[in-house]
Amino acid sequence: MSDSKSPILDELEKGPWPSFVTEIKKAAEKSPMAQGLLEQLELSYKEKKTHWKHGGIVGVKGYGGGIIGRYSDASDKFPDVAHFHTVRVNQPSGWFYTADALRELMGIWEKHGSCLTNFHGSTGDTVFLGTKTSELEAIFTELSEKGWDLGGSGSDVRTPSCCVGPARCEFACYDTLALTYDLTMSYQDELHRPFFPYKWKFKMAGCPNDCVASIARSDFSIIGTWKDDIRMDSEAVKEYAADADFNIQKFVVNKCPSKCMSWDGEKLEIDNRNCVKCMHCINVMPKALRVGKEKGAAILIGAKAPIVEGAQLASVIVPFIDMTPPYQELKDLIAAIWEFWDEHGVARERIGECIQRVGLGSFIEQIGLKPLPQMVLQPRDNPYIFYEEYLEEE
Amino acid sequence: MAVSTEELADSMYALVAEYAGKKKLKASDIVKEMIDKYGDEVDKNQGKEAIRLLMDSERCVYTYFGGTYIELPHKEGSAPE
Amino acid sequence: MAAPARKTDIGPPHYEKFLHPIIKENYGKWKYHEVIKPGVLVHVAETGAKIFTVRAASPRLLSSTTILLICDLADKYSGGYLRFTSRNNIEFILDNEANIDPLINELKQNNIPVGGTKNSISNIVHTQGWIHCHSSATDASGLVKVIMDDCFEYFENMTLPHKVKIAVACCLNMCGAVHCSDIAILGLHRRPPKIDHANLKNMCEIPSTVASCPTAAIRPTYVDGKPSVKIDEDRCMFCGNCFSVCPAMPIADPLNDGVSIWVGGKVSNARTQPTFTKLAIPYIPNNPPRWTEVTEAVKKIVTIYAQDAEKYERVGEWIERIGWPRFFDLTGFEFTKYHIDDFKYAGLTYRRTTQMKY
Repeated sequence: MSDSKSPILDELEKGPWPSFVTEIKKAAEKSPMAQGLLEQLELSYKEKKTHWKHGGIVGVKGYGGGIIGRYSDASDKFPDVAHFHTVRVNQPSGWFYTADALRELMGIWEKHGSCLTNFHGSTGDTVFLGTKTSELEAIFTELSEKGWDLGGSGSDVRTPSCCVGPARCEFACYDTLALTYDLTMSYQDELHRPFFPYKWKFKMAGCPNDCVASIARSDFSIIGTWKDDIRMDSEAVKEYAADADFNIQKFVVNKCPSKCMSWDGEKLEIDNRNCVKCMHCINVMPKALRVGKEKGAAILIGAKAPIVEGAQLASVIVPFIDMTPPYQELKDLIAAIWEFWDEHGVARERIGECIQRVGLGSFIEQIGLKPLPQMVLQPRDNPYIFYEEYLEEE
Repeated sequence: MAVSTEELADSMYALVAEYAGKKKLKASDIVKEMIDKYGDEVDKNQGKEAIRLLMDSERCVYTYFGGTYIELPHKEGSAPE
Repeated sequence: MAAPARKTDIGPPHYEKFLHPIIKENYGKWKYHEVIKPGVLVHVAETGAKIFTVRAASPRLLSSTTILLICDLADKYSGGYLRFTSRNNIEFILDNEANIDPLINELKQNNIPVGGTKNSISNIVHTQGWIHCHSSATDASGLVKVIMDDCFEYFENMTLPHKVKIAVACCLNMCGAVHCSDIAILGLHRRPPKIDHANLKNMCEIPSTVASCPTAAIRPTYVDGKPSVKIDEDRCMFCGNCFSVCPAMPIADPLNDGVSIWVGGKVSNARTQPTFTKLAIPYIPNNPPRWTEVTEAVKKIVTIYAQDAEKYERVGEWIERIGWPRFFDLTGFEFTKYHIDDFKYAGLTYRRTTQMKY
C-alpha cells in the first residue's frame, strides 16, 4: 500500500504470530494517540532508535508509584504522543479475570487513554499504555470507584505477583494467591509511597518449578516446597510403565539429581530422605506422584537483573517456613529486613547488592536469623576471616 | 509527641526547598534528617505521616530519576530544562 | 451529579471474585493434570471434578478491541472466566469439554493461535522497546513477532525435547527474566554516552551521576566553564546506568546499538539448579523490521537442540552435557574474546581442569 503511514511496520503484520502492529492499528481506529504511536514507531524502525524521552515526574496526587511518565522527543511531528504515560493497575492475584471485569477496565481506558494495553507488564501489573497528564486523576478516580487501585513503580514495593497456585495447580505447596493478596493489602503504604533505597519485588511461586521466575526476578522470593515423602499412587505408576512411549528408568530415575530413585521394572522406590524436591519426577508423572503433605515454603532473597553490580539469583535465608495465615513470622522477617535496608542501603542498590556489600553472614545476624548450612552450597574456602571474638590477658 | 506532624511537614518542606537544585532527597533521607534534628521527639512512622501530608497537599511531589526522590513541584516535562 | 469519590490504598479486587465456581469448589484440591492436545489442559480434582484450559497466544500489546473480543469469546465458551499466564498467554477456563474445539476454531478465525504447552516454545517474555522505553537499544515487540513467526511450528506442537523459554529485553536493565531463559535476546549499546555538557548541570546532580557508574569511569569536570562530567571511555561497559540517573547522558546510538544472544538459563529447580544464560553471540546489528540474522540464529539453536538433546533436557542441560566447545562447533557461532567474562566474578568461569573433550 503506497499510502500507508507505516510501510516498515506493515511488514510485521505478515506471518502466523499475532501482530502487535495490527493491535496498534486497531487501537488507532479509536484513539489518535495510538495512531501517533504507530507513526513514531515507524520512525524508530527507520532510524533504529527510540523516540521516548527520559523519565518523568508525573503521578496521581499522593502516590509516588503507579504512573510511569513518558514523553516523545519528536512531539512536533507526533503531537498526539507528546505525553504517553503508563498507568500500572494492580492485577488480581493469579491474573484471574471475568469478561465483565475486563470490560469495566476497558471502558475506563477507552475513555481516557490510547486503547493500548499490556496483559501484563513484566512485574505483573495490568498495564494501560499511553495517556496524557490531564487524564491521570480521572483514570485513578474511576478505577478506585470500581474497586481497582494502582500498582507500584520507583523505589517502592512493586506490585506483588504469583503463579496460578492452588486455584488450578496440584503442585502448589501454599496458597500463593492468598499470600499475594495479603501482602499487597498489608503493604499498601509501602506500595504507593516510595520509602526504600530502590525497588522491592515480592514474587510467590507455589512450587520449585517457579513459574513466576521469583528466584531470578524478586528481591524476596517465596517458593513452595515440602518436607515429607513424595506421595505415590502405585497403580498410576503401572499405567506409566505400560505406556510404550514412556521410559521410567530413562525419563525419571536417570534424571533424578540426587539419585534417590530406583525402578526394577515393577516397583518405583524413592529414598525420600535424599530427595531435594526438584519436581522433575512429579512433573513428568503427575498422575502417579504428588508433592508431600507437610507443605510450606523456602524464602530466598536478593535476585535482580544486571544493573548495577551484576545479575544475581536469589539465595536461601529460610529453608522452610510454615505458610498458614496470618503469616506473622514472615511479616516479622520482612520488617527486620526493611529496617536493615533502611539503615544500610544506598540509592539504586537492591537488597541483593546491599547483602553482597555487607556480607550474608553480617546480614542474617542483623535481621536475627541463625547461620545455617542450607544458606550456602559449601562453607567458605577462603581463610580471610573477620574474627570478632578474641581473648585478652586477664 | 512534642513535634506535631504539621510542624514536621513544614520542617521537611524547608529541607526539600533548601536542597532544591543541589541534591535530590529520598523519603528516607528526609526522615533521617528529621530524626537527627528532633531526636527522640519524632520517629519513622510520624516521618512517613508528615511526608504524606506534604504529598496530599501537593506542596512536594515524588520524582523518578532511576529511583524515587521528593522534590518541589516541577513544571510539566520529562526533566528539568 | 457529584463527582465520584476518590479512594486510595484500596488494593486490587479480591481474586475470589474472578474464580470459576469449579475452581472455587476445588481450590487446593487438584489431584493431577493432563495435556489433552497442544494448548489444552485438563485439571482433575480429588473429587473427580474437571476444569479445562485453552491456552492462546497474545502479542502482549493488546488493543481494547481485542480484549473486548476475548471477553465475548469468554462469555460464549467459558462462562466469562479467563486468566493470563506469566508468559502473556490468554487462558480460557472451561467447564464444558464440548466447547473446546468451537472456541479454538473461533480463536483461529481471529488469528489467535492455540498452543504453548509442555515441550513447546511458549510465548516470549519481553520488554517495551521502542514502543515505550527511553533506554532501549532495540525493539522488543518486533523481535518477538519475527522469532515467533519463525518458530511457530514449535508453539503449536509439543515435539521438542523439553520446553524452550525465550525472552527478549531491549537493554541491560532486563525488565524480564532474560538472564535465566533457555534463549535470550538482549539489546545492547556499544558506545559510551554522549554528554550534553551545556545542560548537564541543570538536568542532573553531578555527585549522584559520578556515583552511578559501576566501574568508576565518570569524573566531575568543567567544560567551557560549566560544571559537567567526563567519561574514561576505556572503562565504560555501556550499561547506561548513568543515563538512568542523568538524562543529559544519552547512550542510544543507531549505528552501534544492536542485540546479543544468550543461551542455557533456567529458573526451574527441576533436575538442575536455576542458572543464568551464557553468551552465544555477542553482537548482531539491528536490522528491522525482521532482524533476519537474529531469527536465523535462534532457529539454528532450536533446530540443533531439537535434534541433539535428550528428552527432558533443557537447552542449558543439553549444552552442559555436550560441552560448550561442541555447542560452538555444532552451531558454527564464532567464539571470541567477548565470550570470556572480565567483570567481577570472571575467574569463576575459567576452566580449571584438564577434563576436556577432543
